[in-house]
Amino acid sequence: MKKILVVEDEASIREELKSLLLNASYEVETIEDFTNVLEQLLKIECDLILLDINIPNMNGEVLLKEYRKVKETPIIMVTSRSSEADEVLSIGYGADDYITKPYNPTILLLRVGAVLKRSEKAYDHLSYHEWTVYPTKGILKKEEEEMILTKNEMIIFLYLLNNLGNIVTRDDLMTDLWNNDEYINDNALTVNISRLRRKLEEMGYMDAIETRKGQGYILK
Amino acid sequence: MKFQDYLKDHFTPILLFFFLLLFLFCLFLLLKLSLATNIFILSLITCFFLFSFFFNYFKRKIFFKEFLSILEKIDQKYFITEMIPTANFLEGKLFLQALYEIDKSMKEKINESEKSMKDFKEYLELWIHEIKLPIASLILRNHNKQEKDSKELEQIKKIEEYVEQVLFYVRSEHSGKDYLIHECDLNTMIKNVILRNKDDFLTLNISVETKNLNKKVLTDAKWFEYIVNQIVSNAKKYKKEKDSMIHFEAEETEKEIKISIKDNGIGIKESDLPKVFEKSFTGENGHNKKESTGMGLFLVKKMCEQLGHQVEIESIENEYTKVTITIFKNSFYNVLK
Repeated sequence: MKKILVVEDEASIREELKSLLLNASYEVETIEDFTNVLEQLLKIECDLILLDINIPNMNGEVLLKEYRKVKETPIIMVTSRSSEADEVLSIGYGADDYITKPYNPTILLLRVGAVLKRSEKAYDHLSYHEWTVYPTKGILKKEEEEMILTKNEMIIFLYLLNNLGNIVTRDDLMTDLWNNDEYINDNALTVNISRLRRKLEEMGYMDAIETRKGQGYILK
Repeated sequence: MKFQDYLKDHFTPILLFFFLLLFLFCLFLLLKLSLATNIFILSLITCFFLFSFFFNYFKRKIFFKEFLSILEKIDQKYFITEMIPTANFLEGKLFLQALYEIDKSMKEKINESEKSMKDFKEYLELWIHEIKLPIASLILRNHNKQEKDSKELEQIKKIEEYVEQVLFYVRSEHSGKDYLIHECDLNTMIKNVILRNKDDFLTLNISVETKNLNKKVLTDAKWFEYIVNQIVSNAKKYKKEKDSMIHFEAEETEKEIKISIKDNGIGIKESDLPKVFEKSFTGENGHNKKESTGMGLFLVKKMCEQLGHQVEIESIENEYTKVTITIFKNSFYNVLK
């Protein structure tokens, strides 16, 4: 399980962020004492840091610069300052991404996922049961057998696969689709999911996508 | 300064001089001076008079000519006191002295109000960053709830939008260096705006189309996204009952990239069209919808001007509205790259 360190001085946001990330099945650690942030940051081993620019006693950008001299852990800057200059500066100091408050929580999770994926050295070998997934080609393969998925079906399938065994809401799927330039509506999403179900049935997995009423879907 | 005007202005002394000449002429006749002597003395006096008259005239003419030509050349007229020559006659000196004092007091006033404006702007920016924290916290809370409250989220997003409007209003009014123009990915910026409005598009049943957006443009991403978002929120507000859509498209030529945002909404009345970019203009559409502040398109225009983009709007009532933003390519920038 990936571990994320949240550096945020606003207690209410910190707690909400923590439960958001926990729900998305990440391990979360937070800093609550802001006297020696840099030392603490360097001490804690984690896969990703969510860093607020306006933490007390120190400028987030300076902190970022100092941290980068020592460690390469991916950092996403989170800020309520929405100016282009701040963003360009942060990226220049070595931030991997930059998100402005208030943000869409699903988008935040997508960005976190994207940064984590980028930081992994070897390409994550994706598979579902005995099937190997080739996202860019849009196919699933098992020995001689092959199943072709459309772009939309692949986006949905990958999202479900990355959250295997967890509930995924329709809104999460919709956000991911829209994030990939597929601006489809509710009906189209329903159609795509039922087509994906049928294809999974053809592959021999009955009821692979379970519907949880009022909550979403689970891939098993 | 025209000679005629100067003559008119000095009508009294000239008249008095002629009386003096007449009086002296009569006096000399009475004193039985010869006519030749009489005329000689009088023409001598006239010569002196004319000399001093023209001397004074040219002194003033040269001064005011220079003064006015400098005044015409400078952009900020009140800087005139820094540039004018000194006057070498009394009225001129008095005039300049008065001007210095007037100017000084005005500059002090301007500095004062600029400073208080700057303080106010800084406070407002700070306040906006502060108010964003509880908004962010509310959005996260709402997301983390087992049962999501979409009505509540809608209201929170409205608060967010109004707060942002204040921020960009302040920035566009007193910009200075609040924006940073660099190469931005058009598709990413448009996508961010579409994602922001995703929930509304879905509930209002507006379909989204994009075409040809894989381009790089020179702009400030934050500002550009705000501009597009304003146009999109108008399209949402003034949509028709059925089959609504919004279409984003870019067109590239050698010198510029035109980005158009077209909807099939209720459109704008022809007579309202030239005024839509004016501040606080709401027009017929605005009167029918209560939530119109008349700020949206005003800010769009203003921010486009600051960034050096062009913005145009065309519409046919009951058919469509199309807003086009033109971003120029900068050959100088390409050289630097």
